[in-house]
Amino acid sequence: MTTMIEARGLTKSFGAKRALDGVTFTVAPGRIVGLIGPNGAGKTTALKALLGLTSFEGQLQVMGRDPRAQRDELMRDVCFIADVAVLPRWLRVNQAIEFVASVHPRFDRARAEGFLSKTDIRPRSRVRELSKGMVTQLHLALILAIDARLLVLDEPTLGLDLLYRRQFYDTLLNDYFTAERTILLTTHQVEEIENLLSDVLFINHGRVTLDSSVEALGQRYAQLTVGADQVAHARLLKPFFEREIFGRTVMLFEGRSPQELGRLGELRTPSIADLFVAKMQGAAA
Amino acid sequence: MTDATAEGPLTAETVASRPATIPAWQVMVALIRREFWEHRALWTAPLVTGALMVLSTLLVHMGNNRWGTFPVFVGPGSASADPHALGVMISSARQIGVSMPLYLAAVVTLFFYLLSSLYDERKDRSILFWKSLPVSDTATVLSKLLVALVVVPLGVFVAAIVTDMLQRWIWDIRYAMGLVGGPEFVWDAMAWVKVEAFMLLVVTLAVLWYAPIAAYLMVISAFARRNAFLWAVLPPVILTVVERIAFGTRYVNDLLLYRLGGVWYDLWNNFRGHGVPGSPFWKQHTYPSVFDVVSFRDLFMNVDLWLGLIVAAALIYATIRTRRYRDDT
Repeated sequence: MTTMIEARGLTKSFGAKRALDGVTFTVAPGRIVGLIGPNGAGKTTALKALLGLTSFEGQLQVMGRDPRAQRDELMRDVCFIADVAVLPRWLRVNQAIEFVASVHPRFDRARAEGFLSKTDIRPRSRVRELSKGMVTQLHLALILAIDARLLVLDEPTLGLDLLYRRQFYDTLLNDYFTAERTILLTTHQVEEIENLLSDVLFINHGRVTLDSSVEALGQRYAQLTVGADQVAHARLLKPFFEREIFGRTVMLFEGRSPQELGRLGELRTPSIADLFVAKMQGAAA
Repeated sequence: MTDATAEGPLTAETVASRPATIPAWQVMVALIRREFWEHRALWTAPLVTGALMVLSTLLVHMGNNRWGTFPVFVGPGSASADPHALGVMISSARQIGVSMPLYLAAVVTLFFYLLSSLYDERKDRSILFWKSLPVSDTATVLSKLLVALVVVPLGVFVAAIVTDMLQRWIWDIRYAMGLVGGPEFVWDAMAWVKVEAFMLLVVTLAVLWYAPIAAYLMVISAFARRNAFLWAVLPPVILTVVERIAFGTRYVNDLLLYRLGGVWYDLWNNFRGHGVPGSPFWKQHTYPSVFDVVSFRDLFMNVDLWLGLIVAAALIYATIRTRRYRDDT
C-alpha cells in the first residue's frame, strides 16, 4: 500500500461555521504525523472523518477504504483514542482487558497487562475509582497492545503529568512504532513531540496551512536572530513572522537560502513549536 | 508474564500467529457479558426478588388448611371431589404465581435498561471507546436486543424454577414435620413439566408481542439527546391527547392499549374458550393442565403479533443506522 490516508477536499460545516474547508493531504505508511492546530481548528473533526465517526463531503480513503461505507472492516486495522477519559466509569480494569481480548483479533493481552503492571492500577478497580491520569494510562495500555496498522491519537496525553507523558512517547516510539505502522496524532504540547514526528500537518480554520516532512522543514524554513542594526536589511528579505526577544529580533523565513540569511545574524532551523506560533499568529494578523 | 514479553516489540511472527478474525458468536458472547457488567440490575433484580420470596416463605407460616376456606375449591361439583386433582391445581397455580414477581421485576428493569442501552454510552462518551474496537453497530445493537428479549427472559424463567423449587422444599419440610397439611402437598412431575412448558410458551409469546416496544425504546435511546425517558413516554401520550382533541377519536389510544395488554387479553380469551363458557376450566379437566386448554397455535398465528415483529425489525434497523451515523460526541 503506497498511501495510508488520502484525503481530498474534505469539507464539513456546523451551521455557518466551516470545521473543514477543503482539507487535502496524504499520509504514507511508516510515518508519524502530527496534526497541529489551535483549538477549534478542525483537528478533531478531521480525525473523526478518518475514523468514520462523522459525515463529511469530499473524497477520503483510509487504507484504501472509505471510512463512511467500510468502517467495520477498517476498524480491524485502525485503532484510535478519540479522547481520553472516555472509558465508561462502571468498567473494571480486568473487564476492559477481557472484553478487548475477546473482540479484537490483534490484541495482545500479555502486553496490555505488562503495561499496567508498571502502573499503580489494580485489576479489580473500576474506572470511576481511578485518577484521570490512571484512566489515560489504562486506555493507552489497551490501545498500544493492539497491533493496528494505523493508530490515531487525539490528545492522548491530556491530563498526564510530564513524567508519564515522556514515558508514553518513549513507549510509542521504541516499542510500538514500526515501519509497517503509521501514527497520526494531535496534541497541544507540540514541543514534546517534536523529536517524534516525521511529518507535520498544520491546520487552521479548517484549512491545511502547512504539510511537510520534518526533514524538508529545515530546507524550507529558517529562523534568523538579528541585532537591531541588521533588522532593516533582514526585513527586505520578507520574513513571514518576527518577534523581539531581549532586544534582538527573531525572524522566520520561507524559501531563503542560508547564504542570503547567514551574513545577517544567527541562523538555525526553527522548531515546530516556533513555526506553529508563527503560522498561527501570522494567520490571525 | 515477564517484562520481556510485555516490552518486546510486536514482530511479524507474533502478528501472524494470531487469528485475523474472531468468530461472530464469540464477539456476541463478549458483548452480552458486557451488558451484564454494566447493568447489574439485569440479574440482581430478578435474583433479589426470588431470594426475598424464598426468605418470606421461611418467615411466614400459614398453618393448616390454607386453601380450605376458598369456596371455589370446595363448592359442589368442583375439583375437590378429586383431592389429587385439586392439589395439583393449587400447586400449579402457586407455581405460576411464584414466577410473577420475578417477571415483573425483570420487566421494570428491562424498561430502564433499554432506554439507557444506547443513551448512556453517548452521555459519557464511552461510545468513542467502543467504536474504536472492531465491533459493528449491528452486533452491538443486536447484543442489547438479545439481552432484553432472550437472555433475561430465559434467565428469569430459570430463576423462577429455582425459586419455586426452594419454596416447595421449605413447605415440604414443614409438611414432613407435620406443621402444615392440605391437598396441595402432592408432587406430580408431569403436571409440573406442563406448567413450565406453558410458562415458556407464554414468555415466548410475550417477548414476541412486546418486541416492537423494546425496539421503540432502543431507537429512542439511540436518538434522544437528553432525557430518553421523556422522549419515550411523551410522544404516545401527546399523540393520544391531540387525537382526542382534534378529531375526537381514540385510535392511537386503542392501538397503544392493545399493544400493551392485548397479548394477555388474547391469552385469557383463548384460555376460557376451551371450556364451557362461564365455567372454570378445571370442572372439565379433573386432571388440570393449563397447557391443554390454551391454543397456542391461535395465539402465535395472530397477525398482529407478526405485524408487530415487522415494525420491530424496522425500528431495530433504524437503531443500527442511528448508532452508526449519529455524531454527538
